Amino acid sequence: MAHLELDNISAAYGKLRVLDGIDISVGSGETVGLIGPSGSGKSTILRVLTGLLKPEAGQVRVGGEPINFDKPAEIRRLRDRAAIVFQQYNLFQNLTVLENVMIAPTKVRGRKPRDVRPEAEHLLAKVGLADKINSYPDQLSGGQQQRVAIARGLCLKPEILLLDEVTAALDPELVSEVLDTIRGLAEDGMTMLIVSHEMGFIREISARVAFMADGKVVELGSPAQIFDAPEKERTRDFVGKILRH
Amino acid sequence: MDYTFQYGQVWPYVPYLLKGAWLSLQIAFLAFCGGMLIGTACAAVKTFGSGWMRHGVNAYVVFFVNTPQLVQIYFLYFALPDMGIFLSSYMAVLLGMTLNAGAYLTEIQRAGFESRRQSEMEAAEVLGFSRWQQIRYVILPHVAKVLFPPLSNHYILMTLGTSMAAIFGVEELTGRAFNINSETFRSLEVFSIVAVIYVVVTLAASVLLALFGRFAFRAKMRVV
Ligand SMILES: Nc1ncnc2c1ncn2[C@@H]1O[C@H](COP(=O)(O)OP(=O)(O)OP(=O)(O)O)[C@@H](O)[C@H]1O
Ligand SMILES: [Mg+2]
Repeated sequence: MAHLELDNISAAYGKLRVLDGIDISVGSGETVGLIGPSGSGKSTILRVLTGLLKPEAGQVRVGGEPINFDKPAEIRRLRDRAAIVFQQYNLFQNLTVLENVMIAPTKVRGRKPRDVRPEAEHLLAKVGLADKINSYPDQLSGGQQQRVAIARGLCLKPEILLLDEVTAALDPELVSEVLDTIRGLAEDGMTMLIVSHEMGFIREISARVAFMADGKVVELGSPAQIFDAPEKERTRDFVGKILRH
Repeated sequence: MDYTFQYGQVWPYVPYLLKGAWLSLQIAFLAFCGGMLIGTACAAVKTFGSGWMRHGVNAYVVFFVNTPQLVQIYFLYFALPDMGIFLSSYMAVLLGMTLNAGAYLTEIQRAGFESRRQSEMEAAEVLGFSRWQQIRYVILPHVAKVLFPPLSNHYILMTLGTSMAAIFGVEELTGRAFNINSETFRSLEVFSIVAVIYVVVTLAASVLLALFGRFAFRAKMRVV
């Protein structure tokens, strides 16, 4: 059974229709890559999946259960199960690295700091930031902040991780650090939906890849299909352009 | 210049001056607190309020920011009695400074309210924070950090601004300096001592505020 399903999802910002009948499913422990030109609606899909934008039509199902976006309790349950890492990190600037990671488990979930702390430290060590736990976000490089954001998402023990262009704002040298972290998560069996412009990475890590354009999924298939033998003209154009440079 | 400074005549007045300085600090503190109450309320109205309420606040701010404070106090002290409202000189100064501070602090705080970061709010929302937790852990610390430095600056300016009270006969630091001057005619001595007291008081306040701001809010403030 699919872990995360979008069934015919449509969404709009005001009058601007941004998603138009999206069907994507991600199996348990599977990694699906989401690619497509700027403005095609990739981030919007992740906003719907985290309850930041209510879909106009269609259904989101987690573990087979449909989410009713009119019920705050159901949105809360969705957020319990799926964590997002934003492209711009969105760390809390007034909190230290450790506090950023610990605040949701302690203040939202009501767990004891003494129990959460070792887990947070372990996660931060895993993303290579053991020596930065008392720094503030503005004292870290972009790649380091990105990894804090990943640790913050993971500390809530999500079943599903949504990653939005997590390497787009990084220097090339930092990209590999973050990608290594994500690769490790994939190996640990996390269910992931990953938006990225790093085609090489998407190809390597994804079981399946969805190519989006103009709010629709144009083509969905294995990385080999999408990158080497796309069926649709539109996909071929995009992949051709991206791979050429 | 062959002026011989004669501090000997003025020294005995230093404790008297220091008591005046204490009154200056009190006036500044009270006017600042009052101004903060007004400013916070008005900034909230400007940020979240309805149309006509915002217009009211705008009129108040525009009037008080664009007229000299001295004129505002003159009005309270000399014009209000014609309308049957009598204020002591101390009350007129305090009220004038409070209203003036309220207008400035409205503008300062509104800028702080508007600087709250959407991205952090969304992160908080997705992590499951309640509305109150968003305010408590994201908005307030950020607003405090952004606002603390300009508010401190304004507080220092207000401390110096209390010297205006002398014109209305309030015996704060400058007022007492006027008194000593008219007894001793040692203007240079008196006012150099007064200047030193102002410098010490404001420097001490700046340093303390900067240390506190850095410690409490990680505000970017230079100490000294
Ligand atoms: N907050 C918003 N309000 C109004 N329109 C928006 C908003 N956010 C995005 N849009 C519009 O929705 C469309 C899809 O945006 P989205 O951010 O999902 O694209 P994307 O595929 O993530 O692009 P990119 O690769 O540049 O990140 C775009 O046309 C964008 O202009
Ligand atoms: Mg995007």
